[in-house]
Amino acid sequence: MHTQNYPQLESVERIEAGFEAFGYICSREIATAVFLAFQLRKPILVEGPPGVGKTELAKTTALMLEAPLIRLQCYEGLDESKALYEWKYGKQLLYTQVLKEKLGDLLHGATGLAESVERLHQFGDIFYSEDFLEPRPLLQAMRQEKGAILLIDEVDKSDYEFESLLLEILSDYQVSIPEIGTVKAQVSPMVFLTSNNTRDISDALKRRCLHLYIPFPSVELEERIVRSRVPDAGDQLRHQLVEFVHSLRELDLKKAPAVSETIDWARSLLLLHADQLEENLVRDTLNVLLKFQEDIQTAQPELQKLLSDRG
Amino acid sequence: MQDRLVGFIQVLRSHQLRISPAETLDAMGVATTLGYADRDMLRDGLGLVLAKTNRDKAIYRQCFDHYFSHDFDSSPPEQAEDAEEESPNADSLPLDSPGLQPEGNAEPQEAQPSPLDEALAESPALAELANSALLQALRDNDRNTLALAVARAAESVSLSNIRAFTQRGQYTRRMLDALGEEVIRRGVIELEQQDSPALAELQGYRDMLRERVRDTVEREYLLQAQGRNAQRMDEILARTRLNNIELHYQQRVYELVRKMARKLAARYARKRRVYKRGQLDMGRTLRRGIPHDGVMFNTYWRRVNKSRPQVLALCDVSGSVAAYAKFLLIFLYSLADVLPRMRSFAFSSHLGEITDLFRQHPVEKAVEIANWRYGGSTDYGASLEDFSRLALDDVGSNTTVIILGDARNNHGDPRLDLMQQLYQRAKQVIWLNPESRRAWGTGDSEMIRYQSTCHFSAQCNNLEQLERFIDQLLRNTR
Repeated sequence: MHTQNYPQLESVERIEAGFEAFGYICSREIATAVFLAFQLRKPILVEGPPGVGKTELAKTTALMLEAPLIRLQCYEGLDESKALYEWKYGKQLLYTQVLKEKLGDLLHGATGLAESVERLHQFGDIFYSEDFLEPRPLLQAMRQEKGAILLIDEVDKSDYEFESLLLEILSDYQVSIPEIGTVKAQVSPMVFLTSNNTRDISDALKRRCLHLYIPFPSVELEERIVRSRVPDAGDQLRHQLVEFVHSLRELDLKKAPAVSETIDWARSLLLLHADQLEENLVRDTLNVLLKFQEDIQTAQPELQKLLSDRG
Repeated sequence: MQDRLVGFIQVLRSHQLRISPAETLDAMGVATTLGYADRDMLRDGLGLVLAKTNRDKAIYRQCFDHYFSHDFDSSPPEQAEDAEEESPNADSLPLDSPGLQPEGNAEPQEAQPSPLDEALAESPALAELANSALLQALRDNDRNTLALAVARAAESVSLSNIRAFTQRGQYTRRMLDALGEEVIRRGVIELEQQDSPALAELQGYRDMLRERVRDTVEREYLLQAQGRNAQRMDEILARTRLNNIELHYQQRVYELVRKMARKLAARYARKRRVYKRGQLDMGRTLRRGIPHDGVMFNTYWRRVNKSRPQVLALCDVSGSVAAYAKFLLIFLYSLADVLPRMRSFAFSSHLGEITDLFRQHPVEKAVEIANWRYGGSTDYGASLEDFSRLALDDVGSNTTVIILGDARNNHGDPRLDLMQQLYQRAKQVIWLNPESRRAWGTGDSEMIRYQSTCHFSAQCNNLEQLERFIDQLLRNTR
């Protein structure tokens, strides 16, 4: 990606505007991070509470640059055969069968074991060659000719061992395959890693990345986000609902409502033809915002106070 | 400016941020890419490479604001015509520290000669003062010149060496001397003797200058010394006997304990999933080979999944040992990531399980409740009996039992038979005693006898020993 010229990534302001055109409203810090990631050829590690648009950032970047998005979803037990590459065992097996039949022709005329082996050696290592390689997301991203956006989602879900696997890719944009050698990316991809902070990411990985923390957006920013995503909601409603969500986040909840939930809620309120927040309406639709019964119970008695405070 | 950046990174390091040389280089790259024109953008940008946890980001922001507070000026300098004072250092940006200006000083002075002008013109004793560039700068409110002069004075007295709170006065004095404040000081004395109307004005300038210098010194102290002092303080706290730590420092010690725990957790978390490769699973290997025409491409091994270790902590919460119990528990529970199967019990006259308390409350609170609920005079015999009833069945070859107590049984029955049982069933029994080894076995202490039924016993009364012990515990249990 980095060798190419992207006018969209020329300056922080252009990135901000570009994202906005695709409906992704971001803070200055996020745009700065993308700008630097491109300029310094560094991956970005994005952390933050769930639902603040970490994955969306990578998707929008891909849309904006019209580059393919390659996504690797991490989970416990993910290993290199699912992330990096795998040998095509079926195909290898088929070739052994073919080879078995051809073996007679090949070795025709050879006398003794030593000569036969000698002759076989001349054929090279056909089973472990590029033809039998099944690329997985990481290798695919390295091989994209025009560059790609590589999204490694929820790294914190993977094991520690997997993190070490990423180190080579993240610092040098290359992959070592023992049987073949090193595959270096022609055009290095732009890498986004996301983490929900369920565990600490190792220092080695962090050192290789720009570290971007996306917090819940400020009221103004969130209003802009809602305006861009749900343009039909009226100004008053939008202001009220964003204020309300912000006050909910200050309560002691198991899971605070995310930006995506604010958007969902705005959409549902719109469907119910609401033009301002009323207590009953909020009470009935609270389950769009809060996904745990405990949280709903915590919030219910506070509703009136929250609404009158912020109204 | 690059030097400033390196200096900034030094400051961040003294505030406990771990910044590698590679990250320093990244920071340089960021600064070159973004330029120094937009302060907020630079702050965001450097934050991306220098602070890599949420906690670090808060510290980073604070340091950035302190360190670069006077390097960026949002308003253009008001007067910059003083050519000879123009910055000789092309790198340095307009310096400024707003808000120090007493009201009314910015009024044009030429319009009406002030009493000070008259006094200066009249009195020959003030000739030196009249020629002072410093006073001129103060009177013209020339921020650039002033800030530059202050910065030079700071350099000449090597202000960046400031270490202690008590040095602030001394450094302020030396800075003022370096600035040539003496002239103004003498002028004030002179005017005082003359009882001149210009006195108040000159005093105003003097105070303004002093305030400015004091401010610079203060800021430098905060930057340079605070981090280092905190580090030294932590070292001292780690070696202090835990029950001597005053209430005032407790919060800090909790923080320290968490820090140690984080370090240990990071070291041991890696080895959480240990598999032992067992024998070849012939059946499975054959079965999986069927689709490949019986060729056994993949081999399967009987894996032995090493079960996670269990730790049981028994803490004496009677008055004499409570403080130690508290820290041990806080330490152990801060390690929840690496010791997931942790159960805790509190005892003095009787024993009860307090694991649930830790689930319901934050650690400090839970320790307090346990203390309150189980505190009293100690009876080890009865407590061990309670423990056997509650949890002896769960003690197995994976279990590590940690007992924290002074083994002072008030001359009661020590119930060594129960300890014996525990010793035979558990993987390890560890006794931590806050008393020094010399006191073991004296008076009503049963330590020598209990020691015989433990795999390991140690004296443990400060954080350093505690950390060492827990390090060992983690190494042995997995």
